Amino acid sequence: MSDRASAVLRHAVPPLRRLLPQVLLGLAAGLSTVALLAASAWLIVRAAEQPPVLYLSLGVVGVRAFALGRAVFRYLERLAGHDAAFQQLAAIRTGVFERLLPIAPDGLAATRRGDLLTRFVGDVDELQSVSLRIVQPVVSAVVVVVVAIAGLAWLAPASALAAAGCLVAGVIVAIVAQQVIAARADRRLAPLRGELQAAVVEHVQALDVLVAFDAAAPGRARIRRLGERLEQAIRRRASAAGITAAAMSAVGGFAAAASMWAAEPLLAGGRIDAPTFAVLCLVPLAIAEVSAALPSAMGFIRVVRTSAERIADAVPDAIPGGVPLPPRAPVELPTGLGAPALRLRGVSARWPHVAGADDSHGGESWGEDSSIAPADLGALDLDIEPGERLLVEGPSGSGKTTLAHVLVRFLEYEGSYRLGGAEVRDLDPIEVRRIVGLVEQRPWLFDEDIRQNLLFARDTASDEELLAVLARVGLKGWVVERGGLGAPVGERGALVSGGQAQRIALARAMLADFPVLVLDEPTASVDPDRADALLRDLLTAAGPDRSVVLISHTGAPRELIDRAISVEPSPSSPVLQYDA
Amino acid sequence: MKPLDPRLVSRSRAARGFLLSGAALALLQAGAMIAFAWSLTALVTGFIGGASTAASGGALAILLAAASVRALAGWLWEWVGSAGAMRVKSELRDDLLAALERQPRGNRGLTTARAATLLGPGLDALDEYFGRYLPQLVLTVVATPVLVISVWMADWVSGLILVIVLPLIPLFMALIGMATGAVQRRQWQRLESLSKGFLEVVGGLSTLMVFGRAERQVGRIRDVTEAYRASTMKVLRVTFLSGFTLELAGSLSVALVAVSIGLRLVAGDFTLAPGLFVLVLAPEVFLPIRNVGAAFHASTAGLEASRDALDALDQAEGAEVPPSRGADPAGITDAAGLRIRDLRVIRDGAVVLEGLSFDVAPGEFVVVTGDSGSGKSSLLSAILGFADLEGEVTIDGVPVGAATRSNTSWAGQAPQLLAGTIAENVRLGQPDAAASLLEHALRVGGVDLPGHRRLGPSGAGLSGGQAQRVATARAVHRLLAADARLLLLDEPSSALDADRELELGRRLRELAREGRAVLVTTHRPGLAEAADRTVPLSEVARV
Repeated sequence: MSDRASAVLRHAVPPLRRLLPQVLLGLAAGLSTVALLAASAWLIVRAAEQPPVLYLSLGVVGVRAFALGRAVFRYLERLAGHDAAFQQLAAIRTGVFERLLPIAPDGLAATRRGDLLTRFVGDVDELQSVSLRIVQPVVSAVVVVVVAIAGLAWLAPASALAAAGCLVAGVIVAIVAQQVIAARADRRLAPLRGELQAAVVEHVQALDVLVAFDAAAPGRARIRRLGERLEQAIRRRASAAGITAAAMSAVGGFAAAASMWAAEPLLAGGRIDAPTFAVLCLVPLAIAEVSAALPSAMGFIRVVRTSAERIADAVPDAIPGGVPLPPRAPVELPTGLGAPALRLRGVSARWPHVAGADDSHGGESWGEDSSIAPADLGALDLDIEPGERLLVEGPSGSGKTTLAHVLVRFLEYEGSYRLGGAEVRDLDPIEVRRIVGLVEQRPWLFDEDIRQNLLFARDTASDEELLAVLARVGLKGWVVERGGLGAPVGERGALVSGGQAQRIALARAMLADFPVLVLDEPTASVDPDRADALLRDLLTAAGPDRSVVLISHTGAPRELIDRAISVEPSPSSPVLQYDA
Repeated sequence: MKPLDPRLVSRSRAARGFLLSGAALALLQAGAMIAFAWSLTALVTGFIGGASTAASGGALAILLAAASVRALAGWLWEWVGSAGAMRVKSELRDDLLAALERQPRGNRGLTTARAATLLGPGLDALDEYFGRYLPQLVLTVVATPVLVISVWMADWVSGLILVIVLPLIPLFMALIGMATGAVQRRQWQRLESLSKGFLEVVGGLSTLMVFGRAERQVGRIRDVTEAYRASTMKVLRVTFLSGFTLELAGSLSVALVAVSIGLRLVAGDFTLAPGLFVLVLAPEVFLPIRNVGAAFHASTAGLEASRDALDALDQAEGAEVPPSRGADPAGITDAAGLRIRDLRVIRDGAVVLEGLSFDVAPGEFVVVTGDSGSGKSSLLSAILGFADLEGEVTIDGVPVGAATRSNTSWAGQAPQLLAGTIAENVRLGQPDAAASLLEHALRVGGVDLPGHRRLGPSGAGLSGGQAQRVATARAVHRLLAADARLLLLDEPSSALDADRELELGRRLRELAREGRAVLVTTHRPGLAEAADRTVPLSEVARV
């Protein structure tokens, strides 16, 4: 495991004061389990010797107390453990988030590819199992087993040695089976599972095409074959995982037999009495039950280690090249001038290489214009005058999105990019983003109501202002129809269409009142025949004083724009300019 | 709540196999436990009575054998559980996929998006269900009675204690569930929205940065997580109560049994051997039902998954697209090409197209124009036999449906490409067609990329326009390779520039001249100019 993954794991362990209660409670529960069986065995065998009842009363009380204690301690332990784990979750999440901030968004695979996002967030949340399922059970089980074995040793050292030998052997077999064999099988399983899942999704989504082209039956046969291969791999893994279960199940019986055989000479020699002998024979069963927690905790180590390694990869220590760094002494931007002019001279930019962004398709390349790694931007000269409407055209792979990210200072650039006369490299990136705003290709809508989705752009805005800005982007009727500003937008904007999402995003940008606005492919997720209407509404709503950079590969009605440029794929970067 | 969907047992051979082998394993395991408890008791009482190690070899052999058999049974459970889950999943997946083909567009109850979730992550819930919950359930049903009977035979008082306590467990759990169910459900719903908090902040990070709101999210994450903790703990305090009940019932009955045996031993009306036997066996009686309780969550998820899959299966198998009505065999047998009379298409209960009539004769190139939402795609759906329709749609006199699909080639508005090379995509359904046809189809479609270029899942790696051209080429390839009579293209030029659009129009004319019927929808004028005839949908068919 890499050092950085270990560091991630160390941060996930709660501080001692929060860890201690659950460990102590787990200890009490485990000791009660062992003591219950010991006390019961002692009670029964001692009773068979028919002493006066008074001699048994301690055993009777003990049996009842341990029975009650085991259930109560276990309940409290689970509560304390979960509480501590959730408290640590806040620390884990904020810790990871604070490390994300300097490299976000473009140095971060998770925000670049949606399918990685859920996995990344799941990995972070997985770390709460570190205390709950690993540290606490292991510490409790080890201490209980050691104390119980020490107790046996006090009664009969040979028994303790024999039982301990069996337990250690059993636990080692169980852990090795899990760590080595099952881990190897797991590694084979993950890609097979992914392949099957991808095949099923593709098949179902394209089912009408497959049926229309008589290709559904072969597709189904392929999925069946994948399923059979997965079943074989699962069976191999089950055989390995079964060894763990089998070893832990057998170990109790073997340890009991070993302890008995070692204690028998003491009984025959009269050095221990019959009740003690019974305790020595039965207690190993309870110890084995407690130590069964160890292999399952080891299984969780494997899970969280994978998560920790992925997090360590996704959040690099060093800020990757291509992500802009804030300058040590930022220059103040001259203010109060409305929209400043933007002057780009020989600006080129490339996307940071990001681990995890391209690890999931088996090394195959789908070509340069795949959506995973946006294209580099070649040397570009560009002037944007205050209040100008500029259309940036160009085929896929010419770096249009890259240009948008340079303009809002998500990406580092080479060459010169001046904003109102100041070199952008010398400005605080947050200041740049106060001037230049971006409406993204797929704007993120938060799973709240429309009001909350607008308010975070300007939290002092009144409902009247919000409705006014919605009216400007042509959404007022729609919002009223939906029941007002309190209408939900759904998870990832599931309840609104692509065009409506763009309009909401634009409304947000207008509330923030950016003097320069970059629209990145606003019609990408809109039916082709509705695209022009959307563009018309967006550009009209932006008003006459704002500079607008419209990025679109399908173009725009010429009467809406002042000027158009075309970017060509890098490295050759002839920029064709013409007047609209 | 039923622990197992009866439809699963009646439908799935694998599920029946799992239950049968599981019951056999449960008996084996119960037998091993009894043998283990008996031999351990015999050894301990024997040694206390003064037996020598030499005379106890037989009992020791039984002890070790019983422990090993029990371990073996545990190993087999692992195997039977996960293999069973895999087989049941394969069966359900295969059946469901086959059933979906009857309505490839999905229907209101079972959209393709839902089917994809159902077949993927949905069925995965069955892993835990078959791997953890059902084995313990089978053990409880089969092994627990056997163990209780053997305890009863050794000591009926202890047996009675177990018989009284065991049914109390489900009773108490049901009572706890009833008393807290509503609160818990409300809390879980709240939890679901809270647990997404972090996902939202990370996912929306670039948006937050644009608006200068990223830095202040740290406090928000802390607040949301703290709220999450507080409300989760409220739920857990109640949820863990059922675990507490199980644990308490188990350990208290062991205590009851031990104390009762102890007191009777002191009084001299009982012997040690059955007492120890019962003491060793009593915790084992409670083990399966405790594990059932622990795996309860796996059961609800698994049950839901199997119910969803079986419901979907019933629904998909019940649904059949009705063949076009009014296909009066007497009147239309000689009509060549596509013939549409009084077509009415209903989607999700709403009429999307009404009163449409026109023909496309072989050798004709017809363009259907209309605004977005005028029903162009629904028209093509109807011709493909994918839609509920009234009226008459025939191809060479045959009502549309599965039978006419071999005569039809089609490219939809969404390209719907698959993982694989461009050539594999174009030759979909006709993998053995001549290479010259592939070349020709790529040319007609205007694909300027090499055929060996590899695409990701769902055609990832192409721009929208390129993907659309490949989809057009695919339809043309099928038209030629399968010698189909009718070519349907839905908005093939929406991402083409004017030159390419003209070129496509010319190529489509050529195809029509070879004696095929070509029907294309578009909202742009370029293709319409190349066509023989234009059918404006908005005037004819708007409701």
